[in-house]
Amino acid sequence: MTERSKTPPKPIPQFAVEIRDLVKTYRSSFKRETFRAVDNVSLNIAPGEVYGLIGPNGSGKSTTMKALLGLVAPTSGICKVFGCDSRKVDARSEIGFLPENPYFYKHQTAAETLKFYGKLCGIRGKELKNRVDELLELVSLNHARNRRLGGYSKGMLQRVGLAQALIQNPRLLVLDEPTAGVDPIGSREIRDLIFQLKKEGVTIFLCSHLLEQVQEVCDRVGIIFEGQMVNEGTLEKLTSIENQHELIIENADDGLLESIDELIIQHQTSGAKLISSGTPRSSLEKLFIDTANNRTRTEQK
Amino acid sequence: MPTSTQNFQKTSFISFSRIGVIASHTFTQLVRMKVFYFLIAFVILLWGSKQIIFPNETGGDGSPEQELRLIKSAGFAAMNMFSMLLALSATALLIPKDIEDRTLYTILCKPVPRLDYLLGKLLGVLVLIFVSLIAMDIVLSFFLNQKAASIIAIQTEQLTSRGIPKELINEQLAGLKAHGVTINIHLATFAIFLKAIVIASIALLISTFSSSTLFTLILTLIVIVIGLIQADARDYATTMAEFGQQNQLSNISLAVAVFFPDLQFLSVEDGVIDGRSIPLRIIGQISIIALLYFAIYIILSWFAFRKKEF
Repeated sequence: MTERSKTPPKPIPQFAVEIRDLVKTYRSSFKRETFRAVDNVSLNIAPGEVYGLIGPNGSGKSTTMKALLGLVAPTSGICKVFGCDSRKVDARSEIGFLPENPYFYKHQTAAETLKFYGKLCGIRGKELKNRVDELLELVSLNHARNRRLGGYSKGMLQRVGLAQALIQNPRLLVLDEPTAGVDPIGSREIRDLIFQLKKEGVTIFLCSHLLEQVQEVCDRVGIIFEGQMVNEGTLEKLTSIENQHELIIENADDGLLESIDELIIQHQTSGAKLISSGTPRSSLEKLFIDTANNRTRTEQK
Repeated sequence: MPTSTQNFQKTSFISFSRIGVIASHTFTQLVRMKVFYFLIAFVILLWGSKQIIFPNETGGDGSPEQELRLIKSAGFAAMNMFSMLLALSATALLIPKDIEDRTLYTILCKPVPRLDYLLGKLLGVLVLIFVSLIAMDIVLSFFLNQKAASIIAIQTEQLTSRGIPKELINEQLAGLKAHGVTINIHLATFAIFLKAIVIASIALLISTFSSSTLFTLILTLIVIVIGLIQADARDYATTMAEFGQQNQLSNISLAVAVFFPDLQFLSVEDGVIDGRSIPLRIIGQISIIALLYFAIYIILSWFAFRKKEF
């Protein structure tokens, strides 16, 4: 065989997710009216990036996700996962999906559920057993592994959902409202897990209404409104107020604070102005988690 | 850490191992819904039928055979009903339930072709029906055998006491034995299973495009009723035509035969109840017809389901 006849190596895709000019139109059954759920949305997610898609209800977030998962066919436009057309079944070997409020088969236990999804992905034998053990440990459900899902709380179901999404070790994780209905501690655990997966190089595409969480975990954010992408960029770019600066000082005495105030007054002519100062407050969420952790520690003693 | 390459794992168009996983899961799901409790009702029904004894003055010499006929009739009627109910309700429920519960999302978001999903679900229901029918066949054979043995013992004693020669007694009893447990009982059970395959695949087809479980159930029931009566309608139309009375029914019944399955054609139980043998040729023919229906409905189901949006 000559060099010329050899198949050229496939190019490494630049993006983990590539959505280009996505349009999805729905037609009503009788009225024959059309409704454009997604209108020319384009977005790219680099490998290893955490991308958050935010928008009000009915803005087209879920439809965009479903198009990426091959659950709906785009009216026009392209959705690709690591360079593979998302309509192809092959693309799904690299995707893990956690739907909003996932319901699994109630007759199964957590371990059976993970085994079922693992087998669907072609994992078998010892490899499957080890993977199930590993994931149950990861989502802190080892203690309830043999309990039927019918008796699980919403938060526990969400964690099983996350474990099933990760069963085949996907390169892309699609999360639809990952912390919906989960208590603050469970929510924190899921966020920690997202950070951990990010460190491992997994690309994450998530939709959430909880903007504070999106801000905390995402590298880049897209804001979708009435099916159109109205704003997109890095969090820094989208949220920073360019002409303002924030100083947080620990153990500052009154003298130091007065000196800073005076310094600002001296520079008033150049337009510098103190807008606010005071003691920063801890969030209610942090207070709740600290209290719960202290209580657990006391009980353990 | 996963790396960015384009080497996707190639998913085969159809995988028997994946179908097996979905089928075994569906079977377990249905078993845990406690569907096998109906076997208790089946045992009670056959036990009750076994207790019925026809008095000699009403049935004459045919009475012992009537008693065996009754057990077979009750058994086959219950088998038909249970297998039909299972085929209809289990198949009609499964896919809409998966959509409603969003479990379908998590399955189809794995590398699972939609044909594998459909076949797996259907196969799970069919395995359940097959296991149920085997259990019912064993129960029916047990009660029928008990009843036949007791009748044969009584008849032998009565005929021997009348001084009838052994050869004549054996001749007399041969008719009775044909009504007992023979291979024909199992062949009739197999024919009922074939009918269940057709009904389940119709329900599957309807559930792929219907918007609710109720709609699927009603529409499938309509198809079953048409399937059960269309042969009679066709016979009636043919008879009328022979008498020179051509009517619309003839054309309608022929058109119906094209689109709906002829479930009566798959029924062989009546002959077995009457003590007749079923030639294996007939079983072969109805198996081919049933598999043909199955293949057509599966292809149509896949066609409706492959581009369905969720």
